[in-house]
Amino acid sequence: MSGLPRVRWATVFLGALAVIWLYPVVWTLTNAVRSSADIDRAPWDLSWPPAIGNIGEAWSRGQLAAALANSASVTVMTVFAVLALSVCGAYSLTRLRPPGRAVLFLIVLAPLMIPTEVLVVPLFSIFRTLGLINSLPGLALTNVVANVSFATVILAGYFRTIPREVIDAARVDGAGRVDVLLRIVIPLGRPGIGAVAVLVSVSTWNDFGASLVLIQKPDAFTVQLALSRFSTFYSTDRGLTFAGMAIAILPPLVLFIVLHRSFIQGLTAGAIRR
Amino acid sequence: MITPGTAVAFVRRSRREGAIDLLFLAPTLAILGCFLAYPLVYGIVLSLHDTKGFDLTNFVGLGNYAHAILGDAVFHRALLNTVLFTGAAVVLQTGLGLFLAVLVADVKRGTTFFRFVFFVPFVLASVAVGAVWKFLYAPYFGIVPTVGSALGFDTLTVAPLADPHTALWAIMVAFLWRFAGFNMVVYLAAIQGLSPEYYEYARLEGASRFQAFRHVTWPLLWPATFTLVLLTTLGTLRIFDMVWIMTEGGPSHATETVATDIYQTAFRFLQVGYAQAMAMILLLVILGFAVVEYRFLDRRAEAVSS
Repeated sequence: MSGLPRVRWATVFLGALAVIWLYPVVWTLTNAVRSSADIDRAPWDLSWPPAIGNIGEAWSRGQLAAALANSASVTVMTVFAVLALSVCGAYSLTRLRPPGRAVLFLIVLAPLMIPTEVLVVPLFSIFRTLGLINSLPGLALTNVVANVSFATVILAGYFRTIPREVIDAARVDGAGRVDVLLRIVIPLGRPGIGAVAVLVSVSTWNDFGASLVLIQKPDAFTVQLALSRFSTFYSTDRGLTFAGMAIAILPPLVLFIVLHRSFIQGLTAGAIRR
Repeated sequence: MITPGTAVAFVRRSRREGAIDLLFLAPTLAILGCFLAYPLVYGIVLSLHDTKGFDLTNFVGLGNYAHAILGDAVFHRALLNTVLFTGAAVVLQTGLGLFLAVLVADVKRGTTFFRFVFFVPFVLASVAVGAVWKFLYAPYFGIVPTVGSALGFDTLTVAPLADPHTALWAIMVAFLWRFAGFNMVVYLAAIQGLSPEYYEYARLEGASRFQAFRHVTWPLLWPATFTLVLLTTLGTLRIFDMVWIMTEGGPSHATETVATDIYQTAFRFLQVGYAQAMAMILLLVILGFAVVEYRFLDRRAEAVSS
């Protein structure tokens, strides 16, 4: 797009890089359906026919069904809570007039500087007092705290593009704040809300650090915890390990393939607009 | 017409209105207050105390900090590793991201495809990425022995993650693979937002491709560079997942980062107050870097956008 003469070697070079980039992913997915003996014999082959048995075995031995259900419930709780908080919060910050709006914006922004890693110890201690260790809602709560600021900032960017005149006209016609939120802001902000939902669900699904600290009972394990435990236990059974990894990466991968435009738009909107 | 009376009524009403407006933000503020601000304050308290399990015992003032800064070789190593790793991540991720973005922006067809491919690793869980790269780095079986043997080198037993000299940089490669796509995507969006007129002008002036990049693209992309440097710094100083999965900080602390050190100190050795002192030092390092980068880089970013 730089308007300069295009060179074809760039495409060739990018094609080669693309192969290197995709190889680890494709390799994981194909090794998931190969027998361990076959992988040991020729680790870099892509073999056929698939040995579907791995998936079933990884599923039962790694207790992945339970782990998937746990991850799904944490993700759903987190996404709904983050959306409810950040939609209302961004609406207030951009299209309403709370007192001290600039300061409020900074307060919402500040947590972006404070990673969970810095607070795990006091959080663990507080959660222990509240009885939230090994609790899926508790884990969802930490994910809400980790995601709500950036979700609010991204949504604020989207909501700012909604013309004030539309909102003012509705208010003059007697619409209340909630009417405006439900009838104007949410419908017009839908692309942003969708992007935030996708980003938050992927980041929650992939979370490892917080769950490692807060979840210790195997029956509350998330997929990532089950996988980290599993790949240590069965590291010699490579087919099985790859099957476990494939199961863990597929949900976000599929979500990304289906929604990759809105995913990337949400991220770049958040990163570029300051 | 507005009489003084209605003006007062208006101000008074709008104060109540403002409070109602604030209600929409209140739940977010409450959550952040309870589970971010309070843990932060409690964390400071913890870091100033000796602890038994997770209970406070004696107030020791800055003793934990002094010990971490003056007398803990592992923490020094962790801090050094973290800062080195972050510096390398900033330079390499930004550089590779920009390189890829410039190439992808120039491709006639397939821009979306390439953007997709380079971004894919970003959505994969760190646990899975770490596990895959552990396999790639395995001796006998991994990519180094395989490619090395194919080229005729004696590399069958090479295990990058087991060697203290290479382990950190082996993790860096996996990290780069995972995150370069993010930087590319941000740069690509910025490049696609640049007006073609600049290049028209550069071409008329007889600028070469490289000169056009050096004097047009690079300065105009400065706001994106600033954002990416800041985001990469904040995201990498906290690095835990990939390191923990791939090496747990070993061999012999060669890949120890501050976050892995905090985790082990708190949850394996149960030195809770001391671990929190290290966490507070990490937070200060993060804030320090953020402030310095903001000071030095933002001015140039503003110069560009004005």
